[in-house]
Amino acid sequence: MPKALKMDVEASQGVKNFLKHLLESGKVKGVFALKKMNDSGAVSYSLITSVEELASAEPLMPLMPENAGQALSRLTVKEALKEPVAAVLRPCELRAFTELVKRVQGSEDNLLLISPICAGVFPLSSATDGSWEKQMASYAESSREGKIHPGVRKMCQACTSFIPGRADITVAFAGRKDTGSSCHLILDTPRGEEFAQGAPGTPETVEKEPAELAPLREARAARRSEVFKEIDVQGQKGLIKTFAPCLGCHGCMHVCPICHCVLCVFDSKMYELQPWSIESEPESKGGIRVPSGTLFFHLGRMAHMAVSCVNCGMCSDVCPVNIPVSEVFSMVGDQLQKVFEYVPGRDVEESVPSGTYKEDEFAGIGEQ
Amino acid sequence: MSDAYNPRIVGFLCNWCAYTGADLAGVSRARVSSSLHAIRVMCSGRIDPLYVIMAYLKGADGVMGMGCHPGDCHYLKGNYNARRRFVMLESIFKTLGLDGKRIGLWWVSASEGKRFAQVTNEFTELMKTKGPNPFREEMFI
Amino acid sequence: MTPHQERTGPGAVPAQAAFLPAPEGTKKAVTDFLKTLMDQGGLDALLVPVEVPDTPFHAWVMVKKSEVLDKAHPLPPVMSVQGGRALSSLTKHGTPWLHIAAVMRPCEARAAVELAKLKQVRLDNVVLITIDCPGALPLAEYVADPEKGQERYKTVADTWHENEFLRPACARCHRFSLTGLEDGPSEGPAPDDAPASVDIHIGLLGEDQNGILLLPVTPSGAEILKKTGLEADRPTAGWESRVRDLLKKKKEKRQAAHEEFRKDITGLDRFLTVFDPCINCHNCMNVCPVCYCQQCYFDTQTQFCTSSVYMDRARKRGALRFPPDPLLFHLGRMSHMVLSCVSCGACEDACPVSIPVGKVFSWVADETQPAFGYSAGTDRGDPLPLQNFLKEEFCEIETPSACGQAQSTEVKENA
Repeated sequence: MPKALKMDVEASQGVKNFLKHLLESGKVKGVFALKKMNDSGAVSYSLITSVEELASAEPLMPLMPENAGQALSRLTVKEALKEPVAAVLRPCELRAFTELVKRVQGSEDNLLLISPICAGVFPLSSATDGSWEKQMASYAESSREGKIHPGVRKMCQACTSFIPGRADITVAFAGRKDTGSSCHLILDTPRGEEFAQGAPGTPETVEKEPAELAPLREARAARRSEVFKEIDVQGQKGLIKTFAPCLGCHGCMHVCPICHCVLCVFDSKMYELQPWSIESEPESKGGIRVPSGTLFFHLGRMAHMAVSCVNCGMCSDVCPVNIPVSEVFSMVGDQLQKVFEYVPGRDVEESVPSGTYKEDEFAGIGEQ
Repeated sequence: MSDAYNPRIVGFLCNWCAYTGADLAGVSRARVSSSLHAIRVMCSGRIDPLYVIMAYLKGADGVMGMGCHPGDCHYLKGNYNARRRFVMLESIFKTLGLDGKRIGLWWVSASEGKRFAQVTNEFTELMKTKGPNPFREEMFI
Repeated sequence: MTPHQERTGPGAVPAQAAFLPAPEGTKKAVTDFLKTLMDQGGLDALLVPVEVPDTPFHAWVMVKKSEVLDKAHPLPPVMSVQGGRALSSLTKHGTPWLHIAAVMRPCEARAAVELAKLKQVRLDNVVLITIDCPGALPLAEYVADPEKGQERYKTVADTWHENEFLRPACARCHRFSLTGLEDGPSEGPAPDDAPASVDIHIGLLGEDQNGILLLPVTPSGAEILKKTGLEADRPTAGWESRVRDLLKKKKEKRQAAHEEFRKDITGLDRFLTVFDPCINCHNCMNVCPVCYCQQCYFDTQTQFCTSSVYMDRARKRGALRFPPDPLLFHLGRMSHMVLSCVSCGACEDACPVSIPVGKVFSWVADETQPAFGYSAGTDRGDPLPLQNFLKEEFCEIETPSACGQAQSTEVKENA
């Protein structure tokens, strides 16, 4: 059983205390976590260097204004961190960051990765109208009970990878009954242990995935297949219907942590309607949709990134016309990941399926 | 479907194997289906999945990728990458309920003119039984 | 004091228009007209929103066969893709052999005109047709419950801006009819050289509610109308006065809304607060018809810093938000496009965190465009303010002020 640190305060306060200790003791020079902005109360990820500013940090706040993997990539892509920084991010965000590091879009050097066993986040829409705050009490309760909260993102309700795989420190949260009064920090790596030395709290050993979490995992898995059934995306008809309202804003792509290309092919000239297709195509069809290539964009993007999809749900959340982008991509991603026996974000050394091969795999292909 | 129905097939042919194989088929006067519209690429590894998807959505009845046999790639490993990409495309097509039989990858070496003719003709026949790609008439792609 | 003359405006309201009876409602009458246009107007194609089968949504379609028009809806309940963008994607690379008519809301046509000045639309072979616009519903509400939306839209289409369902941009829009009418002289005949941005305008607000009015605004519009066999024999005065009445009311409403808003937003702190929730998705920019750049500066990594710089910046204030500088993006974008902003509200519709982007931008547009004597999308011939200058203008912002010394500057330059 892994070592852990127990504090007798509410879980998110515990994390905050721990971060404060790290910052005060100089073990880290900065903290990367969600923070309430002082004027507006809006939340964003922030790089915090002073203890005073840490007071308004909300490391476990169930919101995801941006996938933290994307934010950390921005922080570290030009230069690895020179000083130690502790980052608190959710498991899917950690997976996204791992995928980005694989793609040389960031570096884990000097980062202490802290991630909670995740109970899900609220959609951005409920952050905007403030309705998530009213649901916080029931969120905390269903989290303690190991149940799915009906207000969280659909992809969170259907997420089975809620235990961080490669964090240095895991915050026991979802499915733990005593999070209201105590905080358990599971020290997964020697690095985690090293940073936790001298931190307030009593040492203990806890199980990372206790038996209490099994029902949650089952419920989420069941919800997942339900969600995949709910979306009607089968065949040409289903695809056309699903993506009919698409504005072509490419918001899904811009917030996708995996879609890191500076200039996507779908933002480039190649994607634009060319005069010759305006001449020939509409003749047989009676007309063509403009801007054209809606399905091409979504299927093409899928071909490029779905195998690394971490199911964070950002894409569905920013879609102005409520297309279930994340649901479709996760469904496809699940199948692709099965085919290639790949788990996004599992191991930073593991190569992306499209960047590697084995000579003796898929032997039937091409021989027929 | 009338007897006159002739599918339109887009083929992405590796310069070093399949394209030369196609040449050989021509030189040896093998009958090759006229459905195939060949596009030469320098390697099957250059076939971006986007090409296949675009051809399919724009109404190609079938899309063929052709490259060197495993181990024979002019660039050593391009065809292995191509193989993964087609596996991936087939998985995506299957998950989304699209007809994955309309796309495929074949190994055809430079000396296999006969095989080139054979796989092309077979694929054409298969596409004939399937009929036109419904996306050809789709206004809202 | 600027040397720009006060706008005379198009005022090019034709005295007479063709009348098309609409026994089965205006939508049917308009689509019937479009069909006639396609069959007899000598056009190759029409750009118009068409219903996507089995969905409550409409997509822009370049229509080649007139039977497709059965499903066309010139005024769909929501503005999905901005029509200017649709026309741009169609004509940007040139389609000189295609004679197209595009049927749009007035704000979309204005965007098309701006894009034409930016060389992103080619209007040389395009007949622009606008239509009196009752406004649209907020996109988010419509997609959440399309049935309710369609029900509401019936009210919207009947009550002409006297309802609470309109999206904010439409609720404060006073340019819902023939573009230019709002700036033009209130009475008197239009000057011969009156500029116009559209060729044909479809009036739904005519006195005779049993039909629609087809106003031939430009000579080429008149020619096309003639080809379809429609005689321009109805006076437009009644329609014009009804439009002007509503326009006046809406203009007052707009000014009141801007006044109200000014209090909430002026000052850096308040401005920051408005944009605080921004998540940097750039949806506003990507749906904006005027933001046409292939690769926006704000989509590049130019602003990415090394981690040391980020750490230093964080240390200065104790914390640095990620992504940093949302205001830089919004103000930067504003400085690039606000003089061409047509107040269509697409940005607001697409914002996932409900920032009133459209409100801010259209307010700033209303403040800045008049300074250049410019009104976005009103006049095809009016050059973009930042692509044009007069030697003797804005002397008041120079130090030392060169007001009244225009001549000497010229001498200096010659010397």
